[in-house]
Amino acid sequence: MTLASLTRDWEPMAYGFLDASAKREIRRKTLKAISVPGCQMPYASREVPMARGWGTGGLQVSCTLINPTTRIKVIDQGADDSVNAASIRRFLARVSGAPTTTDTLEADLIQSRHRIPEERLREDQVLVLQVPNPEPLRPVQPNMSIARQMHADADYGRMWLQLYEQIVRAGRVMQGASYPSLVNGRFVMTPSPIPRWDVPKLHMAKHLTLLSAGREKRLHAVPPFTKVEPLVFDDVPYKVEEHAHLMCHRSGLKGFFMNEIPQADGTSIHEVSDSDLGVKAIHRTEGAPVEIGATWYENGEMGQ
Amino acid sequence: MQTAPVPSDFETRTNATYDALMWALSRPGLIRDLPAPGVEGVIDALIDRECAVHAGTPDLCAYAAQTGAAIVPLAKADHVILPDAQTPAMLRDLRQGSDMHPEDGATLILIATLGTGQALRLTGPGVDGHIDVRVDGLTDGFWQMRRDVMRYPMGFEIFLIDGSRVMGLPRSTTVEVL
Amino acid sequence: MAYVATRGGERAIEQSQRLFKAEMGAITPERVAELRAALPYLIDRVMGEASLYDEDLAALALAQTGGEMYEAALLLRAWRTTQPRLQVAQPVTQDALFTHRRISAAFKDIPGGQVLGPTLDYSHRILATEVLTGDTHTPAPVEPAAKPSPARQPSVAAWQAENGLLDPAVPDQTLGNDIPDVTREPLLFPAKRAHTLQSLARAETGGALALGYAAQRGYGQAHPTVNELRLAEAEIVVEHPRGTRFSAGRVKISQAEVVDKKGAGLRLGFSATMGWNEVKVIAAATLDLNAPGAPKGAPTEEEFFLYHTEGVEASGFCIHFKLPHYVTFQSSLDAMRDAKAKAAAQQAQPAEADATEHPTTEPAQ
Repeated sequence: MTLASLTRDWEPMAYGFLDASAKREIRRKTLKAISVPGCQMPYASREVPMARGWGTGGLQVSCTLINPTTRIKVIDQGADDSVNAASIRRFLARVSGAPTTTDTLEADLIQSRHRIPEERLREDQVLVLQVPNPEPLRPVQPNMSIARQMHADADYGRMWLQLYEQIVRAGRVMQGASYPSLVNGRFVMTPSPIPRWDVPKLHMAKHLTLLSAGREKRLHAVPPFTKVEPLVFDDVPYKVEEHAHLMCHRSGLKGFFMNEIPQADGTSIHEVSDSDLGVKAIHRTEGAPVEIGATWYENGEMGQ
Repeated sequence: MQTAPVPSDFETRTNATYDALMWALSRPGLIRDLPAPGVEGVIDALIDRECAVHAGTPDLCAYAAQTGAAIVPLAKADHVILPDAQTPAMLRDLRQGSDMHPEDGATLILIATLGTGQALRLTGPGVDGHIDVRVDGLTDGFWQMRRDVMRYPMGFEIFLIDGSRVMGLPRSTTVEVL
Repeated sequence: MAYVATRGGERAIEQSQRLFKAEMGAITPERVAELRAALPYLIDRVMGEASLYDEDLAALALAQTGGEMYEAALLLRAWRTTQPRLQVAQPVTQDALFTHRRISAAFKDIPGGQVLGPTLDYSHRILATEVLTGDTHTPAPVEPAAKPSPARQPSVAAWQAENGLLDPAVPDQTLGNDIPDVTREPLLFPAKRAHTLQSLARAETGGALALGYAAQRGYGQAHPTVNELRLAEAEIVVEHPRGTRFSAGRVKISQAEVVDKKGAGLRLGFSATMGWNEVKVIAAATLDLNAPGAPKGAPTEEEFFLYHTEGVEASGFCIHFKLPHYVTFQSSLDAMRDAKAKAAAQQAQPAEADATEHPTTEPAQ
């Protein structure tokens, strides 16, 4: 026995920050998450150099997937230039040497908080969504052990009741973002706090979506070609935000999810939330050769 | 700014192996390429001292044990690595997890021949409509038994390894023998 | 071009960090050494919450964060993530602890004696303002006792167990890598005993205090008596690859045993942490004492207090609300405006609206 056989060369920091055993655990749990779509898989969730609640779950999944050729895009609220997106992108690039991009079409791996890009994702792309609260049942059951039992029993009655009560009280479902959705006909999941606009993009999509909550230590997945159905009643159809008619005051784009910018005169103007789509549209207007991919929504309507 | 970090060979290999495994389960029936032939790479990518492994040969046992994993009987293993499926009855003993913890279901890694043999039709998540595949080298009644013993969301995952090719079958996949 | 993609955000975060650091000036080895020497209890608290015992690193973390405790704990925990696990030390037993302070509220005197040790308990809390006007406050020298108290003593609970007052704790024989490690596996409920004790050891002091205090005030069923509070040093005994066991050094630890006296016998609650932090271990032991049978959702229920005393997670989530949430906000505004419009329409035409809004409870398939 020699010391060399018992130890490995010391590295100041593992490639991709996480050490091999942390990566293996995330790999094992991700494989299970893909195999049981929408089911929350517990994982250890290492502490990473970012505060809990700031994308540490997404970060750990990205750190596990990344290699020097992975082209990464990071967005927050749809924007590549948001401070938190910039911080995460810089961290990922720093620990992996991976190239970065803002172009959805160029990205292999997209880590996002609260949005899915407007351009359709391909079957070679992975979308990593940051999840603050992985438990869709929390509004009706804050205790995680009981909620887990409810998932085990597919006991979603209280979830339905809550939606029903909202309709009775307000005339509609009041859920804004994080719309609870049934995955593969079995598990109700949170799609993460993406707007209702984005949830249909997960249904029978070509790309793989991994949803990871670092603080809550849960990971779930939506594989490609998997049914994702927002919980709705037969006679009260699912309604996305009424943004189809809004126009971006910068790019002139119409028919996409918009940010509302309040004006001093009491009115609002809008700008397209997918910042890179906006940039590309502006470039195109200016005559630059820009490729804009097919979008999920066409003329404000979700395509097939 | 520091210089760009460089992954070790081990990191590069396990990263690529996992990429193949992840996409194999994400798109059941589509064959992916592993960076190296055999199941050793799969062991390197997935298994360590936190795992309980059952392996079908002394060599595989030794290889799995050097990761620090516990070597256990089949029914206790979270990863089962076999050169062949022996009898379909072994599927009955595989860990399937519980309704509360479906993640406790096992991962079964089998050597098989892909592209020839029994024709199968796969449907379920990850499959665009349906996909027909051919798998050889598994015992008769394997697919029937897989269907009979699993009660979703409990169940187990299967990786079929043929040299450096891998096909994944998550528990969510329905397999119809044609 | 109207958009500035990526550059603006990167510059902003860089400059905001510089601004924060500029206020603290240069971090020198001298500053770190001074923090370590001057603030041992703060160092202890950070080490306990970080679950990383290294006084120099803890002092550095405090220097680097300007004393922002949550940031310091996070910094240390993130560093801890990158470190290899070389060895798992041998279990520490209470009677082997090198004891500095050991008191019991349950008995006037205990075998081995009450050892007051270092404490401010009976000090008068008066600020030494003369320091601010130029004088040095020099503590009076300690006068050693004529007869030193024994360095190693059994626990009070051991005496109670011997006398049939308490069911003796069954020692868990799990060793080494088989000990469940809450930093390497998820916390699930009912929690493994090791996970509970580890989580309490890592708990944020204020969080443990708030919930422990709630239990003490009556939101728990058990009223604690401090059976024994101990501040000590523990030997870290590791094994050489050739089999020799040796001490790699000592770490400061604190531990509390609290008992409930309501039943036929005494019931024990326990907590220990790295570093000397009496408030935390008494509060945490109170929570441990109250956990069995606590109703779901009570502050004394294990799931409730283990989740909510996890300082790095709690503080991270709390400050994450500063992040932009304008997409989710927009999504909610949309629902709200639509509901308002619906309500207005209903007021205008009550009869018609009634006919259109009749949902059923049948879910869509």
